[in-house]
Amino acid sequence: MSNPLALLGRVATYLLLIVAAIISVFPFFWMAVGATNISADIIKGKASPGGALIQNLSVFFNSVDMPRILFNSFLIAGLGTALTLLISSLAGYGFEIFRSKFRERIFGGLLLMLSVPFAALMIPLFIMMANFKMINTYQAIILPTVASIFIIFYFRQATKAFPHELRDAARIDGLKEWQIFLYVYMPVMRSTYAAATIIVFMANWNNYLWPLIVLQTNEMKTLTLVVAGLTSAYTPDFGVVMVGAIFATLPTLVIFFLLQRRFVEGMLGAVK
Amino acid sequence: MAQSGLARNEQVSGWLFIMPALVLLGLFMIYPILWSLWMSFQVGRGMAFSFGGLTNIIRLTQDPVFIRALTNTLIFLAIQVPIMLILALLFANALNDSKLWGRGLFRTAIFLPCVTSLVAYSVVFKSMFAQDGVINQFLMFAHIIASPIPWLADPFWAKVVVISAITWRWTGYNMIFYLAAMQNIDRSIYEAAKIDGVPAWARFWYITVPMLKPVILFTTVISTIGTLQLFDEPNLLTQGGPSDSTLTLSLYIYNLSFKFMPSFGYASTVSYVIVVLVGILSLIQFLLAREKRA
Amino acid sequence: MTRLSTGWKRAAAVALASVSMFSITAASAVEVTVWCWDPNFNGATMKEAAARYSAAHPDVTFNIVDFAKADLEQKLQAQLASGTTDGLPDIVLIEDYGAQKYLQSFPGAFEPLNSAVDYSGFAPYKVELATVNGQTYSLPFDSGVTGYFYRSDLLGEAGFTAADLQDITWDKLIEIGKAVKEKTGGILLPIDPNDAGWLRIMMQSAGSWYFNPDGSVHIADNPVLKASIETYQRLLAAGISKPVAGWTEYTGSFTSGDTLSTFTGVWMVGTIKANADQSGKWGIAPLPALDGVEGATNASNLGGSSWYVLASSAEKAEAVDFLAQVWGKDVDFYQKILVDQGALGSLLAAREGEAYKASDAFFGGAPVWQNFSDWLGKIPAVNYGIFTNEADAAVVAQIPAITSGGNVDEIIAAIDSQVRQQVQ
Repeated sequence: MSNPLALLGRVATYLLLIVAAIISVFPFFWMAVGATNISADIIKGKASPGGALIQNLSVFFNSVDMPRILFNSFLIAGLGTALTLLISSLAGYGFEIFRSKFRERIFGGLLLMLSVPFAALMIPLFIMMANFKMINTYQAIILPTVASIFIIFYFRQATKAFPHELRDAARIDGLKEWQIFLYVYMPVMRSTYAAATIIVFMANWNNYLWPLIVLQTNEMKTLTLVVAGLTSAYTPDFGVVMVGAIFATLPTLVIFFLLQRRFVEGMLGAVK
Repeated sequence: MAQSGLARNEQVSGWLFIMPALVLLGLFMIYPILWSLWMSFQVGRGMAFSFGGLTNIIRLTQDPVFIRALTNTLIFLAIQVPIMLILALLFANALNDSKLWGRGLFRTAIFLPCVTSLVAYSVVFKSMFAQDGVINQFLMFAHIIASPIPWLADPFWAKVVVISAITWRWTGYNMIFYLAAMQNIDRSIYEAAKIDGVPAWARFWYITVPMLKPVILFTTVISTIGTLQLFDEPNLLTQGGPSDSTLTLSLYIYNLSFKFMPSFGYASTVSYVIVVLVGILSLIQFLLAREKRA
Repeated sequence: MTRLSTGWKRAAAVALASVSMFSITAASAVEVTVWCWDPNFNGATMKEAAARYSAAHPDVTFNIVDFAKADLEQKLQAQLASGTTDGLPDIVLIEDYGAQKYLQSFPGAFEPLNSAVDYSGFAPYKVELATVNGQTYSLPFDSGVTGYFYRSDLLGEAGFTAADLQDITWDKLIEIGKAVKEKTGGILLPIDPNDAGWLRIMMQSAGSWYFNPDGSVHIADNPVLKASIETYQRLLAAGISKPVAGWTEYTGSFTSGDTLSTFTGVWMVGTIKANADQSGKWGIAPLPALDGVEGATNASNLGGSSWYVLASSAEKAEAVDFLAQVWGKDVDFYQKILVDQGALGSLLAAREGEAYKASDAFFGGAPVWQNFSDWLGKIPAVNYGIFTNEADAAVVAQIPAITSGGNVDEIIAAIDSQVRQQVQ
């Protein structure tokens, strides 16, 4: 540490990290400040707290049926996340553990499927949902996202780190394949699941284009749709929009803080 | 006999485990993909279609808006992906130092942007980059610029804003991948190198980067797909403007389908340009990675 | 005046006839679903209309759903394209520029209302834009009739009064802007370089558009379009404008006094009046007219929207009757939404009501609504066609060339070729 060059490097490192951290966090700070200001001040770029928080909150809660909207959002994101983790981890595990040439080909094809933009798939998906009589239902939002190619990839990567000895031992103990998955694999890989939970929950919570098309009534809307609606008035009230933005961000933040320790561990497994 | 029974068991299990996902993908992915592939050869307005053969592909070559969207998308790809991945790699390397004070704090802060709600993100960024917004106020206060930069009103600066916004949102995400992979590298390699007097930058370049090659490849492929499909940022921040300077292929597909006179056939054709690009770039990336390893 | 009142009587007669026609079907309880996009504006007016109708027809209830405007358009287009009518509402709000696109791309999707509504009672341009092959599909709602909104106090400091702005041309306005800048240093107009609204306003004020009435492209050989772009270039070159990016910055600019005026649709009144401290400091003049252009007027339109009934609607009879009863003739209703939401409808008879005659202290005691409804009747009717969004995008792509003072003929040629390529 006595080396002046090393010291310089160390100072530069801290400087880089501090600047990056400030830039990363600043918009959150700005959002919080915005929620306390009136619309006209936000437009003028006022960066200090104001006294309009209570007013913004009351306008927001008067115009949004929060309990119902939160219920929709949590049900869709929660159930969607649970099912995605189950179905996609099963597939990731299956592709990695039981290999065959044919299934490898299928796996290769998934990558190309991932690259088709969603805008091109929306119309046929909508026709399908209409045929299934599922328009304006929770399942219409959840089902198409459950088999996530990205998460299948992710679990396949993670499974490479799953010790073979564990599986062999379980087999010798007479466990069936599904029992091995359920009682050995899932508990061992819980940090991988934690990491995937954050990623999938975040994606489901922020899902916008598809719920927009499928959900038809105010009672079914998610928080993301509602907050987007607030911004589109002829004269949007940005103070209220900021309040909405905070509520729309909080749940993913909380999930992240709860799971982040596991998350880093989980990633560690995934890329081994 | 026992051997082949086991093999068959393996086969059956292999299919059973992936079956639920395959059924769902078949329904909600493959069917719509086939539909759009068929559509990409159809011409017509609204819901009146007819088979057009290669008409849509010829139309692509003569469409100045498509050329602009393609150029913009490739510019975003060429500039944004390297910047983001290099930054992510640098942050991960800095945070990988166990003696670093406040590691968890920095890690959380830098990861934070990618868990933001999309709507919140667009509103906040738009107001921050406004003419009288907080960014211009800061830059003028710090005497970096003399007069406000028209961030969203100028074709060049609008591109800069979009690139900054994507980088802000996804750098921490990629950093976590690298960080996790770095923690897997055997400490003793570094210790040995240190004793041999190898400087920090060389340890990074000759040990860390080669060891991370599979992760770098993974993040490159995912980021490439993400940027080629770039939609959120231009749609929310600039609507593709000013004068198409931030129009991307995905935004153009969206406009063709939902904003303009609906021409789903042509929109599907543009979609498959993205698929072809992903195919070509993935192939190049895989080949490059393989060559270097050899 | 006589023409108006006979139109009004006929509207009542037709509406009455339709009541008796539908009263048989409206026996059981039904819910009418409406899609709109601004809960504080068109959503609020729809709620008021629904309440009025439900009071007289307790068996009919309303479910009013609001989405972001772009979102609503996307939903509607996706669902019409999918060919399934599941989940479509009974009534939907569509912006006027997009009307022909929907009506012509999805024939049969919307219900013509000619038999229920007397269209002679509405502003002619609103009726024209929703008419295909002689059938009219909309119940015309808010107008985007334009005006020139200015800070009377700040222009007054430079010596200009309301009389100086009455029925002027753009070149006169440019002179005023220069004089103001010289005397007080004030900047006259905010300009959003990513928006082509100014061109739509100027073109329609002289009865022209990107397309001919038959739908063919009318750009390269359009003298009005050329005059509009030249006018805009002169305006920019005069140094009396300030660039702004996006809606928020634009409205923020003139409401904060940073710029002194703007020309836009009547719906801007609400945004301006939200700044209560500026009461008495604003004035509204007619839109300046184009110089040396045949058919130039001081009236035009920006935006505006209308209600449409979906042909697939199960509650079609009730939906049509509701629109005809409340939106088609209830003058009192129009007074209420004018006062509460600042919504200027297109029903010409509404101007006879109290609210329309009132003067507004915020705008220096001028009879603001009377003026707007005068101008409303004078807006030249044009056929917006089905490719207005494509044409707009082509214009916006050329705005850097326009603002940097590029050759107008080359710019128009570039717009023309992009539009022709896009409309195939």
